[in-house]
Amino acid sequence: MRELRLHRELYRGEAVDAAAKVYAPYASIELIDDPTHWIVRVTSSTPAREVRVARELANHALGTSIRDRG
Amino acid sequence: MTDAVPSLPPEIAAMDLADASVALSIDASTYGLEALYAASYAFLDRAYVLLERPSPERYRVILAPKKRDAGELRDQLTRLAGELANELLASAYRQRLHAENRALIESVTMRAVAGALGPNVEAPPSLEDLEAFDFSAEAFEDPLGIAMSWEEKYGKKTPPKAGEDPPAKAGETNEDAG
Repeated sequence: MRELRLHRELYRGEAVDAAAKVYAPYASIELIDDPTHWIVRVTSSTPAREVRVARELANHALGTSIRDRG
Repeated sequence: MTDAVPSLPPEIAAMDLADASVALSIDASTYGLEALYAASYAFLDRAYVLLERPSPERYRVILAPKKRDAGELRDQLTRLAGELANELLASAYRQRLHAENRALIESVTMRAVAGALGPNVEAPPSLEDLEAFDFSAEAFEDPLGIAMSWEEKYGKKTPPKAGEDPPAKAGETNEDAG
């Protein structure tokens, strides 16, 4: 399992949700609320795949957060 | 296990060869969030970018290349860290210029828009104004014939009858012609 901790000041919640939906077909994704972070747990068949999906998901969430920050 | 990045201080940058990533610690008072976002966005197509906030005074950017170069991973990570540092500086400077020139840009834009509206757009005349207006006043003088139509000025004239003087040209009196 690979855990991502995305700080709430830097990542928008909607962006993290959207990224999780995009990558849900490629791995099991669990979203956990934390007072300071959006925690994303990625579980897949191999550690390499988990790393890849987690990194792609983080990139997607960051890109959307920047684009939609208003 | 992390290694120092050549040419960058070890407290600022470190690379993790096992994870194929490089991390930069960034002073939040020097590089604002907008500059950090702008610099990070520029790397999204070729690197995995993760932003962290380890303390209120600092940001942390972790970069991992999407594709490995043919050369050494260490060299690729060093290059990536240097490019991010350069991009951060450029973004921070652009943000500063934008903030400094914002008032000037707004002022110039407002003048341009106001100028396009025409000089001193006044309120339409009221019924009292129209009632008091003197419509019997003579038309303005036009000694150069500017207000004349093309046909009036240059159109074919009917030939003068025998014994009549030819018509005077614009700006010319019959006395001048004679």
